[in-house]
Amino acid sequence: MVKPKAFVRKEICLACGACISVCPQDALLMVTGKALVNNKLCNSCSICVKTCPVGAITWEGTEP
Amino acid sequence: MNYDVVVVGSGPAGSVTARFAAEAGAKVLMIERRAEVGVPVLCGEGISQKVDAFNLLEGKRWIANKMEGARIFSPNGTMITLSAEYAGSETGYVLYRDIFDKELARGAVRKGAHLMLNTGAIGLLKKNGTIKGVMAQHFDETLEIEADVVVGADGAESRIGKWAGIQTTLKPYDLETCAQYTLTNIDWESPYCDFFLGKKKAPGGYVWVFPKGKDVANVGIGILASLSGSGKALKLLDQFIASYPELKKGEPLRFLAGADPVAEPVESVRDHLVLVGDAARHVDPITGGGLMTAIEGGKIAGEVIGKAVEQQQFDQQFLSDYETRWKEAFGKKLHRNYIAKEIMLDMEDKTLDMLADSLKDYKFEEFSTLSIIKALVGKHPSLLVKLAPLMKLARA
Repeated sequence: MVKPKAFVRKEICLACGACISVCPQDALLMVTGKALVNNKLCNSCSICVKTCPVGAITWEGTEP
Repeated sequence: MNYDVVVVGSGPAGSVTARFAAEAGAKVLMIERRAEVGVPVLCGEGISQKVDAFNLLEGKRWIANKMEGARIFSPNGTMITLSAEYAGSETGYVLYRDIFDKELARGAVRKGAHLMLNTGAIGLLKKNGTIKGVMAQHFDETLEIEADVVVGADGAESRIGKWAGIQTTLKPYDLETCAQYTLTNIDWESPYCDFFLGKKKAPGGYVWVFPKGKDVANVGIGILASLSGSGKALKLLDQFIASYPELKKGEPLRFLAGADPVAEPVESVRDHLVLVGDAARHVDPITGGGLMTAIEGGKIAGEVIGKAVEQQQFDQQFLSDYETRWKEAFGKKLHRNYIAKEIMLDMEDKTLDMLADSLKDYKFEEFSTLSIIKALVGKHPSLLVKLAPLMKLARA
């Protein structure tokens, strides 16, 4: 089974960059003022999900 | 576009570097990806009064509040006071960081630096592997900005260092994930900056209350990312505020989230490249404070780059004078406080309570982590084994 990728909920993201500074895969970028996950690089390690101070990062497919 | 120096980022480290490089005669361009210098504020806004000695700021508009000291509350509420009464004149300010950053940027511009907003770096310009400047996006235009020296002042999430091959990814263990409200209508008129410790309140970090006026304060939290969970920083901050009636009645004027590196510094120099401020991890790993080191390091970087431009020498060896000098200025302190961070993370809440209890009547002579360590070992010789590595570094 393919693991789900991290997913940034744009309506919550405050563009603080915490996720970008910890992503070991460099899979996160700031694009037009919001963090964005590059699915090709994300290895589902969950570091960004846990790090986000406001809980803006969830798993692909589980977003409301 | 052709410059001697391109500085990526217009925060304090970038502006001070640009100022001193321009003052030394270099042709400097500072680029900022955002539409306004100093906005959004990503900071608790506390700074030491040492900033006055640098004489970089005009007027007092950037000062929200002048403080008489700091109070540290252990997990069970035991209070340690580091007050001006015992510590001479060395106290601090609470800032308006947006104004503070603009004043520092104005200082750079007055010395001749150019500043471009809405201009984000998207890569390094290289020729045969040598750094020749940066590629930047300015609205729908892609710019090639040629420069002999590229300064990465692009914060905790620095891309410049990474593009130059410097390992800048932070381990969750080395990052504080932060949230902060500026609350008004609160009852917290106090001449002290307050710090609240405890594994339940703020695992691997602390909650702060920095008063900006009689009924306004920054109330924020930083927790270690390795001890965090999704949205935990914000949840714990809300819980803290709810537990104090004086704060609970407040209304937020501003909310921010952010990341603060609490790591050992990275390599700060390559051929044609220098990293400053948060990008170089020039942040005190105990307090998370990085403004003074950004300014001190930025001044050194600007002076060394000025000399490099004058002598047209941009290799790592020539620029490494910057690294030598910032290590002399604050490198030992950052390393010592990194070790102190590791020791503190290891301590149970009840140990912190015991230590606080023994320091609560202590008269501190200065505001520093070192003075606290010295006082602790004086009171608890048995702690010496645990704190020995720190004492050795403190004496070094």
